[in-house]
Amino acid sequence: MDNLPNLHQQAINEINNLTSLKDLEFLQIKYLGRNGIVNDLLQKIKDIPDEQKKAYGSKVNRLKSEIGKAVEDKRKTLIANADSQQKTDLTLPGKPYPKGSLHLISIAVEEISRIFEKIGFIRVSYPEVEWEFFSFDALNMPPEHPARDDFEATFIDFPKDPKYGKMVLTPHTSSGQIREMWRLKNPPIRMINIAKCYRPNWDPTHTPMFYQFEGLCVDKDINITNLKGTLDYFAKEYFGPNREIRLRPYHFQFTEPSFEVDVTCDVCGGSGWVGAKRASPVQKCKVCKSGWLELGGTGMVHPNVLKAGNIDSQEYSGWAFGFGIERVIMMKYGIDDIRYYYNGDIRFLKQF
Amino acid sequence: MNIKITHNWLLDYLDTDAGPYDVQKYLSLSGPSIETVEKIDDDYVYDIEITSNRIDMASVLGIAREAQAILPQYGIKAKIKNNPLEQNGFSRIGNGLSRIENPLKLDIHLKNEGLCSRFMTIVLDNVTIDKAPEFMNRRLTLSGIKSINNVVNISNYLMMTFGQPTHVFDYDKIGAGKMIMRESKAGEKIITLDDKEVTLPGGDIVIEDGSGRLIDLCGIMGGANSAVSENTKRIVLFVQTYNKQKIRRTSMLTGQRTVAATYFEKGLDEERVEPTLACGAKLLEKYASAKIASPLYDIYPQPYRPKQIEINIGEINHKIGVEIPREKIVDILENLGFLVLVGGHHDVSLRVAVPSWRHKDISIKEDIVEEIARIYGYHNLPNILQPIAYVKESKEMEKLFTLQFKVKTFLKHLGLNEVLNYSMISKELIGNFGMETAGHLTLANAMNEELKYMRISLLPSLVKNIKDNQGRSDKLKLFELAKVYIPANSLPEELYKLAIAVDTDYFDLKGIVEALYRELNINFDKFDKSIIRLNSNTRYKLEIKKDVYMVELDFQTLIDNYKILPQYHPINPYSVIKLDLNIQKKEGTDFAKIKKIAYQTSKLLTNIEFVSVFQNKLTFRFYFNSPERNITEEEAKEELEKINSQLH
Repeated sequence: MDNLPNLHQQAINEINNLTSLKDLEFLQIKYLGRNGIVNDLLQKIKDIPDEQKKAYGSKVNRLKSEIGKAVEDKRKTLIANADSQQKTDLTLPGKPYPKGSLHLISIAVEEISRIFEKIGFIRVSYPEVEWEFFSFDALNMPPEHPARDDFEATFIDFPKDPKYGKMVLTPHTSSGQIREMWRLKNPPIRMINIAKCYRPNWDPTHTPMFYQFEGLCVDKDINITNLKGTLDYFAKEYFGPNREIRLRPYHFQFTEPSFEVDVTCDVCGGSGWVGAKRASPVQKCKVCKSGWLELGGTGMVHPNVLKAGNIDSQEYSGWAFGFGIERVIMMKYGIDDIRYYYNGDIRFLKQF
Repeated sequence: MNIKITHNWLLDYLDTDAGPYDVQKYLSLSGPSIETVEKIDDDYVYDIEITSNRIDMASVLGIAREAQAILPQYGIKAKIKNNPLEQNGFSRIGNGLSRIENPLKLDIHLKNEGLCSRFMTIVLDNVTIDKAPEFMNRRLTLSGIKSINNVVNISNYLMMTFGQPTHVFDYDKIGAGKMIMRESKAGEKIITLDDKEVTLPGGDIVIEDGSGRLIDLCGIMGGANSAVSENTKRIVLFVQTYNKQKIRRTSMLTGQRTVAATYFEKGLDEERVEPTLACGAKLLEKYASAKIASPLYDIYPQPYRPKQIEINIGEINHKIGVEIPREKIVDILENLGFLVLVGGHHDVSLRVAVPSWRHKDISIKEDIVEEIARIYGYHNLPNILQPIAYVKESKEMEKLFTLQFKVKTFLKHLGLNEVLNYSMISKELIGNFGMETAGHLTLANAMNEELKYMRISLLPSLVKNIKDNQGRSDKLKLFELAKVYIPANSLPEELYKLAIAVDTDYFDLKGIVEALYRELNINFDKFDKSIIRLNSNTRYKLEIKKDVYMVELDFQTLIDNYKILPQYHPINPYSVIKLDLNIQKKEGTDFAKIKKIAYQTSKLLTNIEFVSVFQNKLTFRFYFNSPERNITEEEAKEELEKINSQLH
């Protein structure tokens, strides 16, 4: 019984010296646990003479509550310190996790598919190695058309098919138009065809392989205003809500009328001029032509194309467009180093 | 193609209040795209893009015609004046022709049919070769055409005014005035005006003077041997329209992409030949003191017959999507040179006669609709999304696209970089892989040897990527998801493959594939053998510094085995006992075998993990658990002991 004060002192010293919550847990168990020192002392009450039992009991209980209080105080201090005493250099970098990259084209394909999905267009995939019939004849491009010659299209060394002609690397996604018409047999058609295309051009702005996305809509009562509505929707979704579109007359064999679509330039806001009106001299925008950027070709589906797709052009009409994915990426993100797209340079690829 | 003409030149034939920038703005919206306007001295130069179907616009007159239709839509006056088609014809000077004494003669033979749809020519005498008038020189220079002398400049001036190229021969350099138009034989040679010797591919349109000497590579460039020089006295003014396919072919194959060829290869209006020639004779008389000295030669096997198209107003408006008043429709068409003949039908129907210069371009109702819509102004049409319609997507395609993006994104998150390579590769790359070109589709007109064979595997390209990127990154982990093209009896099979190549180590790549399979909830086991190490021969040949490991998986197989959710197992509430075991490495015993034996031996074994390898000892961690009750550590130890004894 005489060593109780020592025990008290000993516990307090230990509490003072320890520095972690974990050690405090151990100490608490050592003194106050089920098999701890204090309980052990309480067990021993049966060996104490009766007249001293009461005094003994109250001393042990006091010891217990004092240690308990010291433990609780220490716990509060430790918890408080845990928040304030941070010795690590927090400006060091975190644990490194790998960061790979997707190809720019994959990112754009996904963005474009989502935009058209929302207005009910389904994505399809058709052959890249095609018959001339699907790439040309069915698209109202007669055999003598310049786009079919050796300078504009890439042919495969393969026997000519008696019905479908030569084998060709499709120069545009439009070959998917006929395939989709044949697949569905009857309108409505709402298609987005995204694929590799090939043309024998290799210069700073062309690669012999490139990507196009083709939209095709065939239904009753489809007219030019619907094409404009869709292009306007796409331009606002993909490029931004402030963008406007315009159509200019153009010529394609598979559409009539045919158009080229322009989108307002982001750099000059569609004005064609940059620079504050007073502070610096106003200059012509270097990015666009008079406020507009060319997006690509489009038009109303030519009746001969509907005919080749076994669709009655008296009852149905449609629109189609085919845009270059590299082109829209360039317009949206300004990444115009097209030569890096397909040469696998990791310094280019890993940035995305 | 692009042409350049000047504003003052346009005003010769167009009565308008429009300034050059108005012309640019409005014509670009509804007609030819005028890319730039540049002020030079007191004139403005238009740079105009001409689409291939509208070669009729590629001239001052053509642009004036467009302006006449377009500018009034914006409230600007525009009317063609001094119409050169109406003011030039031989009917007027026809009498003059017959009065020529001792006319000079040409002996013309068209040997092959289908080369030339109209052949018209005339000889002029008394020519004085001199400088051309200043206004003509300036306009041509601004149009990007070199000024030479009065005769050549007149020829070019005619081309820019009418959109019809012409040619001038020195009459005295043509043997006996004889001209035989025929197809060339392969290998025949001609020295053209630019002093280039051109070897002909054969089947080209040429003119021979009877002695076997070629004097003209028709539609492309004249021969040097019959060219006008400063001593020329008598000339042949030559205006033709040719078979457009033949011109394009010759021009592309010989590399002689002349301005004349870019006109002729698009198919010109036969009816414009005569006014061009007549105007030419007039200009030569005025500026080179020439006198007509021969009969007029005109060979025109199938004269033009006007075409008519019937269309009703309702159809027009239905296709455009707005109501355009009948009067406006008629106005637009007439300003473009169409004749609107109101047919015997009701008022709603129009019969439209197509002008000769649009004959090749306008053939169906939709062509008429286009003319009306563009002049009315596409910007005047509202933007209206069509109603939503449900179209069934094929499940295969849907799965393909969904999974492609999922797999790409997953690999990206593992730290891999996606590449996209050309679908064509070289013989050399194929050879590096010990493959033959024979199993590949071959391009018939490849641009070069690099891009000649359609890939049947993505791996050769990926190895090239690794080689090209050496030194640019410590570790390379690349993937490509793309089609390969497997030759067949018909179109090739286009199969998607997923290829991965790394220059780290085998287990890195194996880990990637395992992780991918887990992500797709595919039970994997049997791909070990499909991971390949680039063989040392190729590696050293390509000077690749590190080992390259790669795998090519069939994407359709991944799609077929993919599950959105894995098999669900109810949570097992009973204790799991983990025990480690060291196993001595032994010949003929690998992890696969250890696993097999262990699972066969113990029913309570649920998992084995590989922990470490030290010298000859492998450490594995075994997990024991029962789905029915808590097992004790002793039980687990017994199980482990059974396994251990089986392994010895």
